[in-house]
This record gives sequence, structure tokens and C-alpha cells, in this order.
Amino acid sequence: MSTILEELEQKIQGIESSATTKSNVGYVREIGDGVARIEGLSAAMLNEMLEFPAGITGIALNLEETEVGAILFGDYTKIREGDEVRTTGRLLQTPVGRCLLGRVVDALGNPIDDKGEIEATEFFPVEKTAPGIIQRKSVSQPVQTGIMAVDAMIPIGRGQRELIIGDRATGKTTIAIDTIINQANANRTAEAMGDASFRPLYSIYVAIGQKNANVARVVKILEQNDALKYTIIVSAPASDSATNQYIAPFTGAAMGEWFMENGMDALIVYDDLSKHAVAYRQVSLLLKRPSGREAYPGDVFYLHSRLLERSARLGENYGNGSVTALPIIETQAGDVSAYIPTNVISITDGQIYLETDLFYQGIRPAISVGLSVSRVGSAAQIKAMKQVAGKLKGDLAQFRELAAFAQFGSDLDARTKAQLDRGQRIVELFKQSQYSPMPVQVQVVVLFSMQKGYVDSVPVDRVKEFQNQLMEFFSTRKEALLTKVLEKKQIDKELEPELIAALDEFKNFFK
Amino acid sequence: MKISKDARRQARQMFRASLANGRLDRASVTKVTDMVIAGKPRHYLQALKEFARLVRLESARRHAIIQSATALVADEAQAIADRVHSNFGSDITTEFQVNPALLGGLRVQVGSDVWDGSVRNRLDLITQQL
Repeated sequence: MSTILEELEQKIQGIESSATTKSNVGYVREIGDGVARIEGLSAAMLNEMLEFPAGITGIALNLEETEVGAILFGDYTKIREGDEVRTTGRLLQTPVGRCLLGRVVDALGNPIDDKGEIEATEFFPVEKTAPGIIQRKSVSQPVQTGIMAVDAMIPIGRGQRELIIGDRATGKTTIAIDTIINQANANRTAEAMGDASFRPLYSIYVAIGQKNANVARVVKILEQNDALKYTIIVSAPASDSATNQYIAPFTGAAMGEWFMENGMDALIVYDDLSKHAVAYRQVSLLLKRPSGREAYPGDVFYLHSRLLERSARLGENYGNGSVTALPIIETQAGDVSAYIPTNVISITDGQIYLETDLFYQGIRPAISVGLSVSRVGSAAQIKAMKQVAGKLKGDLAQFRELAAFAQFGSDLDARTKAQLDRGQRIVELFKQSQYSPMPVQVQVVVLFSMQKGYVDSVPVDRVKEFQNQLMEFFSTRKEALLTKVLEKKQIDKELEPELIAALDEFKNFFK
Repeated sequence: MKISKDARRQARQMFRASLANGRLDRASVTKVTDMVIAGKPRHYLQALKEFARLVRLESARRHAIIQSATALVADEAQAIADRVHSNFGSDITTEFQVNPALLGGLRVQVGSDVWDGSVRNRLDLITQQL
């Protein structure tokens, strides 16, 4: 018996210490522009990581009859024709976890911020299938952006995908940065209060094809607002290869998924997907894939749908985590009917449309109320906000229509005039300077004052002054009332008289 | 040389015609090549180049390259060749190469598959693990 056992153990040991490895190899036939064509690799799998000489890695994207088309990460100029390439049997992975918070990393998760190595213990595949129907739950918790116009009229929920779309320099990134800052503020406040029920929201900002100066500016703003410690920045700037720009949002999504799968909430900003589509077009054309409309490959829709589908809200049985996505799309001369914008509009659960005209009229954030919509977010809005902002979107849309007509005639009936006056004041209230997000309880109080007509008597040019003083008044003298609004999350019969009394007190104070 | 789609298609047809029982047939390859050279169809030079590539890749699939750090003695080489034939079939051709970079052990390649039992491979694995 013991002889059999010894023999068996010897055999097992022989297998374990076997020094012979089996691999599948190929040879580089063509190399250039970050793309290689490799002969051989008969056993390569789609999206499999390939090992090139000099420690360079690639991914097999095209499996052809006699060749494999691969994209490369790293300095492809070190690779020569005839170099040996081998399969690894692994998918591309990125480090994930809390250790990445406060860090700036490249498209593969390597640190680029001179803050030392990232000691990650977990790795997630960059490409991953989105959660299925059973695991998901409908959106029911809010993401407070801190931007009053968004939180009141286009509310966003955890797990939602809300597109930010507009021409260049209309404030798209600012909305995203404001949202990140507001999450950091909320996280900090909850930490200070020791609120155990609060679910912190961690942010991931993915910069795709941006100028390095812009990324540095974002980092600085987040640092100044003490928001970087709750944020991961994935940067694939314009100077990076198209392959890095193509993979960066997927890396960000993998980092977000770690939070989601561990029962936490994450917010991802993809800034921007137009440049991502351009990078993918470049990669596809270099791989000689057939091109379609605007020379984009046929699977450009799938590229964005599979990325955005990874944003989800998981059910209680699956950890209750979520990933909220804020993709950004840059339009050309306001053309939302172009290929990529229509694709992403149809994938997302709503869009915040920013208009150049409004921006130059001084209405900032330049949100076009008519074209902006949130398809699922209203379910996540807190009751207090619903109570004060229920009719705002309609009022504002009516105001825009009336304002256009009012230009042609001077005789207006009292009702129309009142609507115009109200509209002008709402527009003024919604103006908000950048990087100064407003807590939700303050937003509720401001909108409550509007609803109850306290702003109607204030001249339009003094509305902003009124709002600022009102906010100061409440945050210095009525802090308890603000906390009550935040705790109750609704304006009930008890709270309403208290708010009215406070507003009356403020009205006497405001001259 | 850029090879057109037509030439590729032609080369694939020539390649299919050169197979007998799923294996490359030397006589058929010669016959097909001679016929194309004689007929001189459009893009025939491109097609021949592509055909040569396909034949090269197919031949590599049935060709074993055995690399060792030092030259193998005849008995060892014969024993290895016998093992290769018993594993992959008698029609497989063998080629012995000396590669001092391996430091020791053997590296056997059949088509794209490589069985690497060299000291160099072990060192590389250790480097990766560290």
C-alpha cells in the first residue's frame, strides 16, 4: 500500500515541479502605430493578453485565418519584425480597491503621480460582462450633484447613466467636477457626523484624449477642494497611444465595479466618449477592420453600450452597490444628430444638454431645460425636492416659449407677465458659479422660498444677492432647520410653518 | 508587395488544391505552381507569393524544431525524434538546432505550440514571479 502511495506522491511531485511549460507562439509580421500583425498564435483567444519581448503586452483583437491582429501597450518601437510573441491565457487586468483612491493612474492602472507604488491586492479584468437582470435593482437612491438646476429638474440616481452633452467650452467637465466635489463634501460631512447609515460615493474620473494640462487642472481643483482622496483619476491623455485611450474607460469601469461588488457606490465620469470613439476608430482602421458611417467601425455602438451597461444598481442580495456613469460627449456646432451623440443618447438613461447660446448669455450652467431629461432619476429624488421642484421644469419650459413670443409684442396680460417674471427669477436662481456645489437641504430652502413667492418681489438683478444672503442666513442662524430638512427628507406639516417663519424673518432682514 | 484580395482568393484556391486528405501534398504543390506559372493569370505573382506563405505556414505545422543548448549526440537525437513521431504522427519532419541562449534543457516547437523545458525558460519564470 505504502509503495503505491509513494509512487502516487512522486508522480504528483513530478507534475508540480515540472519545468516544462507549454505555450503558443507566433512571430511579428508587421508592426507600426501601436498595432501588430502576428503569424502563428494558432491557439490565441479573443481579447487574450499577448506577451511581446521587452516586457511589452498586447491584446489579440483580430483572429484571422493565418494571422492575429493585436494592439500594443507600451513602446512598440522596441519590437522588431520576426520577434516572438506568446499567449498568456489571461485577460488584461487592472489593480482595483481603496488603495487607488487619491491616485492618478494610466490606462493600465500604473501610477503616474509620483506618490509611489500602488499596493493593490486585487485585480479585475478590464473587459467584464455587465451584471444581469436578476442581480439588478431599479434606481432608487439619489446622486446629489450639488448643481441646483440638475438636482431639481434632471435628478440623477445611483446606478443611472446620465449623458452630459454639449459643444466645446460649454461647461461639460465643470458639471462632472462639481458632482465629484459635492460627493466629497457629503462624504466628509457624514464622516464628521459619524453617520453610519450614510453610503459614501467614490468617484472615478477617466480622462480620454484630454490635454495633459487639463488633467493637471482637474487634479489641482480636486486637491483644492479636498476631493481627491475620494477620487481615482484614470488618465489617457492625447499624447498617449490610441490603444491606451481605447482601454482607459474600461479600466475605470473595472475600478468602479470593485466598489459596486463590495457593496459600495461609485460614480464614473468618462471625459469624453467622442474622443474614445475616435481612438477606437483609429485602432480599428489600423487593424484593417471594415469601416462604416463616418469611418467608424461597425461595432462602435457595442463599444459604448457594453461600457455603459456596466453601470448598474445591484439588489440587496448582491451587495446593494452601484456604479453611476456620467459619460460626456462633445458635439460639433450643436449637432446632436451626429453618429456618436445619437448612439450614446440612445444608450444612456437621459442627458444634460448644454447650449453655447445660454452659456454666452451668462446662464451657467448652460443647461437647456427642453432638451435635457432624466429617464429614471425622478424615482431617486428626495421627497422634499419633489415638493419644491415638481413643476419647475414645466414652468421654465413655458417661460422660454413665452419669452420668445413676448419679444414681438408689448401688451401682455397679467398672467403671462407673472409667468415671465417667475421664469426670469427661476433662471437667475439656477445660475451657479463653478466648483461651488450646494448641499441638497440648502437647495430645498432656496426653491421653497421661490415656490412660496418670496422671490417674486425681489428685482431680477437682485435675485442672486437675495439667494446668497438667504443661504448665509440659513447656514449661520438656522442651521438646525437645515439639518431637520436633511434628516426628514420632506417638508411636512411641522416643518413647513418653521420654514415660512424663518423666511419671514429673513425677508425683514433683506432690504 | 501589396497583395490584392483577388490574389489572396486565388492563393487560397491553389492551397486547397494542394491538399490531399487534409495534408499538404508535395506533388500537388509543384503541379499547381507549374500550372499557374504556365497560365500567367492576372496577379499571378502576388498569388504565388501568398500561396508560398500559406504553404510555409502549413509546413511549419507539421515540422518540429528541437532546440538544445549544445549539440545532441546521435542516440539522444534519435530518441527525441522517435518520441516526436509517436506523439504527432510519422509524417512530421524534425529539425535539430543548437541555441546556447537556452543554457540547458530542450525546447520543442511544433507549429505554434512550444514545449519549453530549458533553463532559460525556468529563469524567466522565476524572474516573472519575483
